[in-house]
Amino acid sequence: MNSYYLINLLIYAAVDAMACLGLSQQFGVAGVTNFGFIIFQAAGGYTAAILALPSDSANGGFQSYLGGWNLPFPVPWIGAAVVGGLIALPFTFLVGRRLRGDFAAVGLLVTAVLLNLLATNYRPLLNGDAGLSLIPQPLQGDYNPQSAGYEWALAAVAIVLCAVVYLFVRRITESPYGRSLRAMRDNDIVADSLGKNLLSLRTAMLVAGGAIAGLSGGILVSYITTWSPAAWGYAETVVLFAAVIIGGAGNHRGAILGAILVPVGFEEVTRYIPTSNSLPPNLIPSLQWVAIGLLIVIFLWARPQGILPERKRVIRAEPLRLAAGPVPAAPGGTDQAEVATAPAVPRPAVPPPDDAVPSTDTLQSVSSVPPAGAIASVGAAGAGQQAPPDREVVLQAVDVVREFGGLRAVAGVSLSVRRGTLTGLIGPNGAGKSTLLAMLAGTLPVSAGQIRYQGEDVTSLPAYRRARLGLIRTFQLASEFKKLTVMENLLSSVPRNRGDSLRGALAGPRYWRGDEDAAIARATALLERFGLEAHANNYAGDLSGGQRRMVEIMRALMAEPRVLLLDEPMAGVHPTLARKIGGELVELAAGGLTVLMVEHELAIMDEFCNPVVAMAEGTVLAQGTMSELRRRSDVVEAYLVG
Amino acid sequence: MIIFLASVGFGLVTASVLAIAAVGFTLQFAVTDVLNLAYGAVMIAGAFLAYLLNSHGVNVWISLVVAVAACAAGSVLLNAFVYAPFQRRGTAPITMVIVSLGMTLIIEFGVQALAGGTSVSYTMSQGPSVSADGFTLTAVQFVVIGLSLLVMAGTHVLLRYTRLGKAMRATAANRTLARNCGIRTGRVITATWAITGALCGLAGVVFAMDAGSFDATSTDLFLVLILAATFLGGPGQAYGAMLGAVIIGLATEVSAAYITPSYKYVIAFAALLIMLGVRPAGLLGKAA
Repeated sequence: MNSYYLINLLIYAAVDAMACLGLSQQFGVAGVTNFGFIIFQAAGGYTAAILALPSDSANGGFQSYLGGWNLPFPVPWIGAAVVGGLIALPFTFLVGRRLRGDFAAVGLLVTAVLLNLLATNYRPLLNGDAGLSLIPQPLQGDYNPQSAGYEWALAAVAIVLCAVVYLFVRRITESPYGRSLRAMRDNDIVADSLGKNLLSLRTAMLVAGGAIAGLSGGILVSYITTWSPAAWGYAETVVLFAAVIIGGAGNHRGAILGAILVPVGFEEVTRYIPTSNSLPPNLIPSLQWVAIGLLIVIFLWARPQGILPERKRVIRAEPLRLAAGPVPAAPGGTDQAEVATAPAVPRPAVPPPDDAVPSTDTLQSVSSVPPAGAIASVGAAGAGQQAPPDREVVLQAVDVVREFGGLRAVAGVSLSVRRGTLTGLIGPNGAGKSTLLAMLAGTLPVSAGQIRYQGEDVTSLPAYRRARLGLIRTFQLASEFKKLTVMENLLSSVPRNRGDSLRGALAGPRYWRGDEDAAIARATALLERFGLEAHANNYAGDLSGGQRRMVEIMRALMAEPRVLLLDEPMAGVHPTLARKIGGELVELAAGGLTVLMVEHELAIMDEFCNPVVAMAEGTVLAQGTMSELRRRSDVVEAYLVG
Repeated sequence: MIIFLASVGFGLVTASVLAIAAVGFTLQFAVTDVLNLAYGAVMIAGAFLAYLLNSHGVNVWISLVVAVAACAAGSVLLNAFVYAPFQRRGTAPITMVIVSLGMTLIIEFGVQALAGGTSVSYTMSQGPSVSADGFTLTAVQFVVIGLSLLVMAGTHVLLRYTRLGKAMRATAANRTLARNCGIRTGRVITATWAITGALCGLAGVVFAMDAGSFDATSTDLFLVLILAATFLGGPGQAYGAMLGAVIIGLATEVSAAYITPSYKYVIAFAALLIMLGVRPAGLLGKAA
């Protein structure tokens, strides 16, 4: 084995590892399935080539291409990374919330196939099928690229850059921002409802991954000095996916391991298969592809987490207790409401700084709102006329309609929710309760009508913007982030964490440690109040149904809501625990929180909710206290006939 | 005008092949919930099986029937041994797509390993051709168009008037609800794999006939057309896929007459991306 062989191996390993890190960040961490990943590496390769090459009349003009700027090292590599990142931008329209992830992936795959076809057939731009060759190597005027020293140096630089990329993606992944990415990966609609801007997160990942892929392409062409469409068929993306899946999606070391095992390993192993003239010429390469396909399917079946699974982020409780101060662990204490409502304040001594409204005000308003008055002022008909500008009405639906095909799931509902109340929403299956809740939160757009929140028209605001204004919802179906621990689930919804942005994440732990510790303290206090502290470092997906419900409610509380929309929060929860949750909500409401809650368990409604709104067949039937509703024959009938 | 008419002729044939393929693909996705990217690989496997028989002296139309049966059986097995076990485990749709990509590599390059990398073509007579003003179709092309119309009519009858077709539609709309209503969704899904697999095999052989010569990777680009037709009509919509196939088939071939033929797929590509970006539910689908 000579040193050139080793250098070759090292450079390929560095380049493939770099690409796999980019893909691991997109796919494993953020759940962005970029089947067009190879486009970005290709773009980097071509960019580095045309930046480094002299104009295409050189060398007798045997190849034609755009550019040919003859720029010195390291401009081609920088250009490769920049272009790799920039060409991600046109694809962002595929990864918004509207489009299913698998459809977006198909769109990217097809783009990769077609761009390859175009590059193959259109010669003037990048010399077509033959590709570019004689690409100058870095500093080749000053050193001899053929020398072993030069090649070793190139390999060393590639490895160092790969290490830099590793540190870069690790810094992103291990920050609060990385947690948001993983939350989006586990359940994007829920992440959206907790204030995560999916489009911005995915765009950032496409750009960052694209830049990494571009850089890897740039380094590769500087070494092999040629670049042609054959080097970046769509199937090359599949190889990189195979590497990341086998190594361990979401684990960056796994990505490096996968890169060494799959793209590098496969090339090397097949080198040692004796060639024989009796074999068909294409047999070995074909079987290589078959083997990669088999590896993908077998790994996804037998070990979907890969060789090195994603690491569980254990957040130790010990320093948290100190930070949280003397929090009584026993449930039902009197002074505990403050702990949960006080955002980012570890000590419960401070009165709840619940942003907008002084708490004394809300306390009065809670007691002064008579249920009868609520019935009079809020009803199925004409909320527009009966509602004079009332600061107490914090959330309002005005003639809201939602149609699914021909079906009117919600057929003109007007509803006002007053500050500091625990408003119940009942009705038979199919009454439109969850649909209404989804429209209030922005998860579903309205077909007609208006949603007003804190006096503002928020009808056109996307869910994440409403969440950032304190309008937080939970879901009817289990919606925990499965591969995040309970603690991480809680932390994921905390607003205004300095580390919860790409820039903040890159600034490093020292920049966001303070916010993070405060959030951990709040989460620990909350976990203790709901008796789940023992599960803090378990994956949320491994909990029982009732426990997961609790995690969702706690996660919603961590988001510092002003209005909480709960969709059957007690479903599957032990009755004792359900009552405890109800008690907590009452306390929080006394502190100024407003709750709108869908629930089938009428005993819960009786005990905690006032007023209660009854819906049936997409409209509001009646509103009042539970006992008033029980006396109304139409409500009872709707329930019984349902 | 002559060029235009000639390209319309080609377009009709392409649209016919595409319609068979796209209807199978979209039904498969609608009922089984698998976005099976290995569809193109199964097509080419069918085409090669027919070639194998044909090269041993079997009439190409008999070979076609065998290939159709084999692809039906193969698709049922593909589901039973690969997709269904993953689905039973609750595998995410996106992971299913990755599995189907893995299967694409296995099938496509498995075929290539067995068949070698060279292009092959069937031994068959194109039959007499009919032409008028440059609009020329061979007898074989007429048969392809006829087969396609037959498939479309058959699909219509299946979905509208048969118990199985209605059960398929019910399963596509809501599998759990269909099962609770007493529909044996497991059998419906297996039947769907058989039917769509048969369509896939038929599409593969007529694609190979239409292409003249083909190799193991020939359907890579054709899959783009299938996807474009499917998404144009709305994923899961059989009638949408027919409409999409006609539009994409004609658009690619007519545009090929005026721009370089190697760019003819660009139209399909643009249509696909526009649909994905603007109206993912398709022309016939409901707005999102």
